[in-house]
Amino acid sequence: MKEQLEQLRSTALQELEGLNDPKLLEDFRVRYMGKKGSVTALLRGMGALSAEERPVMGQMVNQLRQELEEAVSAKAEVIQAALQKEKLAAETLDVTMPGKKQKSGGLHPLNVVLDDLIDIFQSMGFDIVDGPEVETDYYNFQALNVPEDHPARDMQDTFYLADKLLLRTQTSAAQARTMEERKPPIRIICPGRVYRADEVDATHSPVFHQIEGLVIDKGITMCDLKGVLEQFAQEIYGEDTKVRFRPSFFPFTEPSVEVDVSCSECGGKGCRVCKGAGWIEILGAGMVHPNVLRAGGIDPEVYTGFAFGIGLDRLTTTRYKISDIRLLFENDVRFLEQFDR
Amino acid sequence: MYISLSWLKRYVDIDVPVTVLCDKMIRSGFEVEDIQDLSETMKNVVVGQVKAMEKHPDSDHLWVCQVDVGGEEPIQIITGAQNVYEGAYVPAALHNSDLPNGMHITKGKLRGLPSNGMLCSGEELNLKAGDFPNAEVNGIMIMDDTYPAGTDMREVLHLDDYYIDFKITANRPDCNCVLGVAREAAVALGKVFKEPVPSYYEVGGDIHDHIAIRVEDYDLCNRYMGRVVKNLRIKESPDWMKQCLRAAGMRPINNIVDITNYVMLETGHPMHAFDLRDVKGAQIIVRRARNGEPFTALDDKVHTLTDEMLVIADAEAPSCLAGIIGGLNSEIKEDTQDLFLECAKFRRDSVRRTARALGVRTESSARFERGVDVIGVEYAMERALQLIHDLDAGDIISGVIDCNEGLPAPRELKVPAQRINDLLGIEVPFDTIVSILNSLDIETVLEDGELTCRIPAHRDDVEGCADLAEEIMRIYGCEHIVSTPIRGDIIRGRKLPERLKTDRVKKVLVANRMREISTYSFISGKAIDTLRLPRDDARRQAVTLLNPLGEEYSTMRTQLLTSMLTVLSTNYNRKTQAVRLFEVSKRFVPKALPLTEQPLEIPSLVLGMYGADEDFFTLKGIVENLLSAFGAEVDYLASSEPYLHPGRQAAAICGESALATFGEVHPDVAADYDMPTRVYLAEVDLAALFAIQQPRVLYKALPRFPAVERDLALLCDASTPVASIEKIIRKAGGKTLESVELFDVYQGNQIEAGKKSVAFSLKFRVPDRTLSDEDIDPVLNKIFAKLKENDCILRT
Repeated sequence: MKEQLEQLRSTALQELEGLNDPKLLEDFRVRYMGKKGSVTALLRGMGALSAEERPVMGQMVNQLRQELEEAVSAKAEVIQAALQKEKLAAETLDVTMPGKKQKSGGLHPLNVVLDDLIDIFQSMGFDIVDGPEVETDYYNFQALNVPEDHPARDMQDTFYLADKLLLRTQTSAAQARTMEERKPPIRIICPGRVYRADEVDATHSPVFHQIEGLVIDKGITMCDLKGVLEQFAQEIYGEDTKVRFRPSFFPFTEPSVEVDVSCSECGGKGCRVCKGAGWIEILGAGMVHPNVLRAGGIDPEVYTGFAFGIGLDRLTTTRYKISDIRLLFENDVRFLEQFDR
Repeated sequence: MYISLSWLKRYVDIDVPVTVLCDKMIRSGFEVEDIQDLSETMKNVVVGQVKAMEKHPDSDHLWVCQVDVGGEEPIQIITGAQNVYEGAYVPAALHNSDLPNGMHITKGKLRGLPSNGMLCSGEELNLKAGDFPNAEVNGIMIMDDTYPAGTDMREVLHLDDYYIDFKITANRPDCNCVLGVAREAAVALGKVFKEPVPSYYEVGGDIHDHIAIRVEDYDLCNRYMGRVVKNLRIKESPDWMKQCLRAAGMRPINNIVDITNYVMLETGHPMHAFDLRDVKGAQIIVRRARNGEPFTALDDKVHTLTDEMLVIADAEAPSCLAGIIGGLNSEIKEDTQDLFLECAKFRRDSVRRTARALGVRTESSARFERGVDVIGVEYAMERALQLIHDLDAGDIISGVIDCNEGLPAPRELKVPAQRINDLLGIEVPFDTIVSILNSLDIETVLEDGELTCRIPAHRDDVEGCADLAEEIMRIYGCEHIVSTPIRGDIIRGRKLPERLKTDRVKKVLVANRMREISTYSFISGKAIDTLRLPRDDARRQAVTLLNPLGEEYSTMRTQLLTSMLTVLSTNYNRKTQAVRLFEVSKRFVPKALPLTEQPLEIPSLVLGMYGADEDFFTLKGIVENLLSAFGAEVDYLASSEPYLHPGRQAAAICGESALATFGEVHPDVAADYDMPTRVYLAEVDLAALFAIQQPRVLYKALPRFPAVERDLALLCDASTPVASIEKIIRKAGGKTLESVELFDVYQGNQIEAGKKSVAFSLKFRVPDRTLSDEDIDPVLNKIFAKLKENDCILRT
């Protein structure tokens, strides 16, 4: 009986070795360990054994049974793993094939850039305010130290809607309104649409966008202006960006400056983008003119402030190297899709 | 304005390269728009002398010349010109030379014979009649023997110079002239400014014997000064003067006209010369024109004047539009004998208004508009007389008539020096402040920390501390301004509620795969007609521009639909298969027309889309998503906009007002925009949407027990709105009914005509247990009963 058992064991293990199909494995299990299986038969045949032999033999058969069961389940795992491997291999994709296009929505590039600017200035404590696009002559000019028939009016060609009503030529029109509504300390930006009678071409549009900045408090200086603009420029153009002031003239600021940033393309060495200058003009700024403070009901003997005006369209075209401003207003989706973040 | 470097050098010892000068000028506030290096325009062109010439053997018009160009041997140049002769001095462009007209000359062969360059005409050297003797000749420009063969033609033509275009800001009218720029250049370079000191001889006599001047309107003319010059000797101006004028873009005419122009360019004071014999009654009257008075300008144009315009008249009629343009009747002619010379200050706004009204802008009016200084009038007059004397252009009669109502004394400004530094944020040493201001002709003394400044008449722009601070900053150097981080209380930057809500709108739309566009706020006045609105529709009441760029941009839009349709059309016709677009912008709605006050600017949203996957319900789905994001509870009712498909449009009604109107675009409208496809539009009233009180978002517990689902198939009139059936079901279903969802609508063969089948999926659930049939059946029965009351029966 013992030999019989040994015989069965070696035949079974040998047979198991060659199996590689889950179905055959199940057959094998049934044949050996099923109700009518060979190992089960051995157990049944133990009735013929003596009382002494029976427990010894029983233990041996049970051992064999357990051994075979373990071998079967180990084999099953091996087969399963092999099958899985085969299946996965068969499922291999050409991962270089294109992805399935998901149409996405997005903001207009002008607003992509504007949102960045708003984030920067909001983080510096600026409120974001609005003003009307149809303005009175008073807010667009007179309150900004540009009286009637002043030559500075020639700097901009204005669209008129009626006597003393016009399309604002600058978001600076928000300055006096803001001063009337708020008390210092004032720290605002006013983004918005502005209009000038420029014929449409690659760099001019009669409709464009500005962001006016205004800060009024006690003891505000030119250096504070430079500090804020440097912060802004470094966020937009990169940490190493430098800011340069050049004296200039705007009726509503005194002193007035044009603000240049070091060219982000060449780092200031001079290249095609900055036309060899190493600097790019980005905005006009200055200390709020005492007459403008007075017009806004703020005492220039007590308070000082600065103002700046950023051209959003130009900032957008330079950021993305857009060659023609008209593309911004043509709204071809193949253009608009290029600026999704 | 263009100024030649050589002209500037007459007043300032400029010993640095032109680029350094320009850089310093830019740093002190004078932008340089252009630098023209005249020598760049011409290279390798020299004076040549024709030593020998003979006919080309194979040509009947070419000449083979041996030309001395300063080398050891003459070189051979072939020319087609017929005015060359042996011994003639001519401009010779050598091998590899550049001409100002862009030509590049190399050696070559002409009919088989080598030619080592080209002999040049005046035209080929960009010279016009009067620029150089013989410049106008048809043929080679024959020169005299002033310059030997081999001399660089740039030296001959004074091309060793630069033209610099300075951009003068509106606050510095005193720098619209060479002396003004020179004064600034001297300060920028730390040099002495050599202002000319006029001196001349008078021949005696008395001006009062020749002319009388009366100023009637001092309010428009603060100062009027006149001199008389007799026995004019009109001739060509000297080269140096012609070159200066040319640099500024003016054409030399004769010595008298050139002197008035030269003085205007040099001092910024326009001058006017009258032919004395044409001044009727020997009388100059500065007065307002009479309404309707005619005036013929020297360009032959006839103007009709009004009594707001100032003229210089004689006893009979206006002979000059003050400060703008002279009259045909009194201009200087070749045979003019005696001259009345005017220099004046006219009020700038008056000149500006008159020039605009008549459409006449001149070098003179431009300067008066920006403002000339009343004191400088005398200096300019003196300078002109000096030049008349120096050029021997006439005999200066003694005596001057200077009409004014008193000239202003120099203003005095007292400013604590520290205030300048407080504004700049840096510490400029006080003595530096004083010396900078003095160098700018602002006489300044410092006493007990206070600056006392005498502001010269030409610096009207300097009114207070801020202006002085600007002077200090630009001369001391902007590079001294350092960056300080923003100071003050830490405050939170806020957005206005409307901006926050607009941001949310955009977020929802982008999540719905919509793309933002941006279009002009003014449109064609005819665009509105494409919407087929009735005549009395409020949207036809639009604000129009008084001075539009063209009809296309003439009207402030009262709706965003037509701009959207235009953009959809652009994309459709560029073969983009499908688009979903939106724009947030303002509508301009006048309170009254004609416009008397600012119109309403109403924030609005328009959606537009087309494409194979789009239909009325995809658009409605987006509108629903947007409205529900703002907590709007709305009813959708069929609407009747003329630009939409009559059977495929709806309004989302909230209370009294329509939050949105949307639907398929009427095919006729789509056709007007060249879109033979189904197009969808929605217009959303953002003001109304933003006005909705938004419910607070509160968490709802996730269900712990399963829902029970029941499907209902109903039969009703084809015209019954699905929404009304849904409403009945919801109402009858009560609290246990969690959701009602439409899943099928059918009309056709299986159904009685005029009826439709509508199928809903209903979900029932309560939070605390699983519902049984016994729970649900009574609810269902109630629903069936209510439906039946409304002519909806259960299909079996």
